Amino acid sequence: MPVRWSRYNPSYLEPEVKTEAYQKPLEELTEEEKEQMELKAVRPIKAAPPTLSSSVFSDPMISKFTNMMMKSGNKVLARSLMSQTLEAIKRKQLEKYHKAPENEKETIECNPYVIFHQALKNCQPIIGLSSITRGGKTYQVPVPLTDNRKRFLAMKWMITECRENKHRRTMMPEKLSQELLLAFNNEGPIIKKKHVLHKMAESNRAYAHFRWW
Amino acid sequence: MASEKPLGSCPAYSYHTLLWDTLRLICTTTAVQRKNAGASGPEKYTEAFIKKQIEEFNLGKRHLANMMGEDPETFTQEDIDRAIAYLFPSGLFDKQARPLMKHPTEVFPEQRKIQWGEDGRPFHFLFYTGKQSYYSLMHVSILSVINNASSQSNNICDILNRNLAGSRWLTKIELEEMLVEKMSDDDYSRFIRLLEKLVALPCADLEEKYIQKFSKEVPAQLQKVLIEPLQYDERGVAFSTGEGRRKTASATAVVYDNGTGKITVNGIDILHYFPVLQDREQLLFPFQFLGRIGKHDMVCTVSGGGRSAQAGAIRLASAKALRSFVTEKEVEFMRQAGLLTVDPRVKERKKPGQEGPRRKFTWKKR
Repeated sequence: MPVRWSRYNPSYLEPEVKTEAYQKPLEELTEEEKEQMELKAVRPIKAAPPTLSSSVFSDPMISKFTNMMMKSGNKVLARSLMSQTLEAIKRKQLEKYHKAPENEKETIECNPYVIFHQALKNCQPIIGLSSITRGGKTYQVPVPLTDNRKRFLAMKWMITECRENKHRRTMMPEKLSQELLLAFNNEGPIIKKKHVLHKMAESNRAYAHFRWW
Repeated sequence: MASEKPLGSCPAYSYHTLLWDTLRLICTTTAVQRKNAGASGPEKYTEAFIKKQIEEFNLGKRHLANMMGEDPETFTQEDIDRAIAYLFPSGLFDKQARPLMKHPTEVFPEQRKIQWGEDGRPFHFLFYTGKQSYYSLMHVSILSVINNASSQSNNICDILNRNLAGSRWLTKIELEEMLVEKMSDDDYSRFIRLLEKLVALPCADLEEKYIQKFSKEVPAQLQKVLIEPLQYDERGVAFSTGEGRRKTASATAVVYDNGTGKITVNGIDILHYFPVLQDREQLLFPFQFLGRIGKHDMVCTVSGGGRSAQAGAIRLASAKALRSFVTEKEVEFMRQAGLLTVDPRVKERKKPGQEGPRRKFTWKKR
């Protein structure tokens, strides 16, 4: 039975790295934020992990994606692949931008981070399936998903898609940038997979009452 | 027995018998070291037995004080510990295996008296539930919630903030000790949820006292770390030092004022020492957070660990050094950003019967 424990005492809180959160004047804070501040003043705080930093270039979603792409702890390679992907996205978008006529130039999004976030958001499923065994038969029951789970599924699908369905000679950054651009425009195999999942959930709607949580 | 002789008769005392008596007391006390509270089942230690143990302990304490040449009246537990460590030096690694002399109430776990009378009928009405103290506690708490809910219009107090800052609920072990009864994790979490519900309601003063029984003060302000003042070197430039550790790597950093943002590690520029971008980002993190990137110079030495551990160690060292340059409020912000905590994560040890810390050997059917 895997036991998940942490070297930190459970009373330790997560660190807040962004400088904007500390520059807000006292009046603008809501009730919850004031309570949070008081709590933080008393409780100890965990150390910031090496992937997190207050610079504008560090993005928690990008770090998560990089970690998921990483194999056998080779963070250097994963990070370089990620940066090459973002570069490839930028190049493709710039090409499109320079070829497009004047009126369409504003609609083309050139920021690779925006494209990345929007693409992953488009890939997130809304509802998931979970197998529940009743009376010997296993049913696929539609089940709501938490935010973390949605993000994880989107990233996982993206990575598995890029690793398997490509020609032997294509490099990962190229394929990834292709898939991300397709997902950004709500096309491509990953969006299709999401729609298939939604259809399955809709067809199994009858079993929704099997869920007890 | 030497224990029955009055203390005044010094010449008749032999230290040998005295030592043996204390030894006997110590040995019995170490043998019954137990951590769990409320041993279930019939009483292992009767009240008479515990009383006798307490008498013997007190007597032994006076003998010990006499032996050490100190006043028996003012002989505290710390003095006992020191005396025992002196008379019976032990090289054993486990502190709990060494000779120990403590008051019997600390040694013998608290026990419940027999819960039923002579006719076999239990005293408590919830005895047959199996967890009588837990359920009676839940009943009492629920009653206070209901009373509270019914008398809502009476007092609206803002003691809501009290609980968040500076106090915590009792842990499961502490609660078990209080009730002298074991409980499961689910029971404990249920009770805590009930307490939080009670706190969330507009509470009356009576409930406040009841709640205080189950909450503890968090030791106020774990910080209070001394921030060292700035030192000045020959040229008159202000500097300060800091030390940091991460996962076997240890680093010392010296941060100079009026600098250009040059950072040197072990005599080598960071661009050459840390070819990976992530490590350089970590080094610059404290400076970027405070907005002082081009204003300080840094010279560090680091040894041990790997590439990422060295970067983390230098980050901690530089954050500690920067505390002297910065206001108290900014130090608090740095602490809340996680820059000043030592990262406790280390490599987990390999266990016997497994290939690694978590990985088990390949399961073979035959």
